[in-house]
Amino acid sequence: MHYDGTSCNGCDIEVLASLAPRYDVERLGVINTGNPKHADIFLITGSMNDQNREVVQNIYEQMPDPKVVMAIGICATSGGIFSECYNVLGGVNKVLPVDIYVPGCAARPESIIDGVVKALKILEDKKHKLIEMKLGREAFVIEPATIEDAAEILALQKLAYQSEAELYNDFAFPPLMQTLPELKEDFKTVTFFKAVINGVIIGSVRGRMKDDTCYVYRRIVHPMYQNLGIGKKLMNDIEFHFGFASRFEVFTGHKSKRNINFYERLGYKMFKCEKVNDKRHRVYLEKSADRI
Amino acid sequence: MKIFLMIIAYIIFAPILGAVLSGLDRRVTARMQGRVGPPILQPLYDVLKLMQKDSLVVRRSQNFYIAFFLMFIIFTGALFFSGKDLLLVIFALTLAEIFFVLGGYKASSPYSIIGSQRAMIQMMAYEPIVILAAVGMYMVTKSFYITDIISYNKPLCYYLPGLLFAFIYILTMKFSKSPFDLAYSHHAHQELVKGMTTEFSGRSLAMIEVAHWYENILLLGFVWLFFANNILIGVALTLLVYFFTILVDNTFARVKWEMALLSTWIVGLVFGVGNIIVLFFVKR
Repeated sequence: MHYDGTSCNGCDIEVLASLAPRYDVERLGVINTGNPKHADIFLITGSMNDQNREVVQNIYEQMPDPKVVMAIGICATSGGIFSECYNVLGGVNKVLPVDIYVPGCAARPESIIDGVVKALKILEDKKHKLIEMKLGREAFVIEPATIEDAAEILALQKLAYQSEAELYNDFAFPPLMQTLPELKEDFKTVTFFKAVINGVIIGSVRGRMKDDTCYVYRRIVHPMYQNLGIGKKLMNDIEFHFGFASRFEVFTGHKSKRNINFYERLGYKMFKCEKVNDKRHRVYLEKSADRI
Repeated sequence: MKIFLMIIAYIIFAPILGAVLSGLDRRVTARMQGRVGPPILQPLYDVLKLMQKDSLVVRRSQNFYIAFFLMFIIFTGALFFSGKDLLLVIFALTLAEIFFVLGGYKASSPYSIIGSQRAMIQMMAYEPIVILAAVGMYMVTKSFYITDIISYNKPLCYYLPGLLFAFIYILTMKFSKSPFDLAYSHHAHQELVKGMTTEFSGRSLAMIEVAHWYENILLLGFVWLFFANNILIGVALTLLVYFFTILVDNTFARVKWEMALLSTWIVGLVFGVGNIIVLFFVKR
């Protein structure tokens, strides 16, 4: 897969040159596809700006795991001579996690091919890691999170709330808009729990005491690890942690039937419904402590 | 017992042979373009890689249709190589293709829907010729059974040159090669992204690939029927036909669907029906 950011076409031509008879990357089994869903390696030439940021992210999300991102040319690596332009964000690493940088202006086909070969190696490593993660599904541990986990939890939050945002067609959803400093601020007043598999955070929940009530919110689980009981375990642990509270309260959107069912199975009862905006109502559920 | 062995042999060896043939295809294509080309087993590596990739779907049911596509292709091939009724083979193959088209529609991306629509048009174009080929074989051998057709004492291409030509003409369509790679093809990604297979990834894409290997072997088997009375020469000529389709793939540009439909029907009418009319007077 090849995407041209704001490249001057120099690197693009070199990418195409490595496909042509003289260099022929197909001898390594690599072909250029126009379909992100069939792609493994994402080549990006040119620097990032506000207009192509979303496009690049969209393509990246459409590619199935495991995948590798390659920044080709100095513009994609760091922004190059354009890095100080008012409209340029910088290199691809401002938008996506880049695995391989191929510098050069323009990057030579030899170095592009060299990068692709290195990418194949990284792809292999990522594949093994993915298999390990899948095998380790049952072996998750739940522990309190610290402020160092904030960035990872925020990334997970944005991933996990994507489906909710789509459900309500509301992409200005507070969990999606939260920034890292805000989340770090939360750590002062809120207790965070995280679910970890092989050192990677795949779930989290927050709880906050106010008067005698414990407000539990933002229960998130990585989409790949849903329906494995991780959410339930997170709820149990946070309820146990706040065992002294006399009442627990949670909320969710009115269309999120799965969430409502989930809480009802845990003994929560719906007690009020509030309109947030035109698209979304918020349903509140409660449970008193003696029912635990 | 022999039938049973043939079915087992087909199920095991057809995908291996199909993978090698498609690897050869890529290598020969590369050589025709002055490139080195990938290893012969590259398609096999690709499928093994796809098995371990994540599967992203628009709707879960799209993979269900693909599973049926693979199943019916294997079923059709088993019917063919165990020497059953040729008409049944043709209709079972059509059914398999229909499942593939349904999968493409189900994915509901504009590219896969355009691909599916074009695949339907292609089916409309080539199906008459396939049936005419079966009719021609019946007129020569007086049987629709493949066991009877292959035991006929003369090569069928002696009586059916027009039908053979028409069949090779539609073979590029079946193999999805230029000039008729309208529905899905690697080379059409500028206009179609990947046609019918656009929305498939991971394991379901691997299933599509494997189904194509089975299908290619089945179609080459069909070509082989035209030269069936001597097995070795038959196989050699079939491979020659395969090479010819690769050559055509590399020499022609993609045509529009109107052209594909019209030209196929004209070829079918002139060579297919013409052949059968001539045969009717000669064999009387």
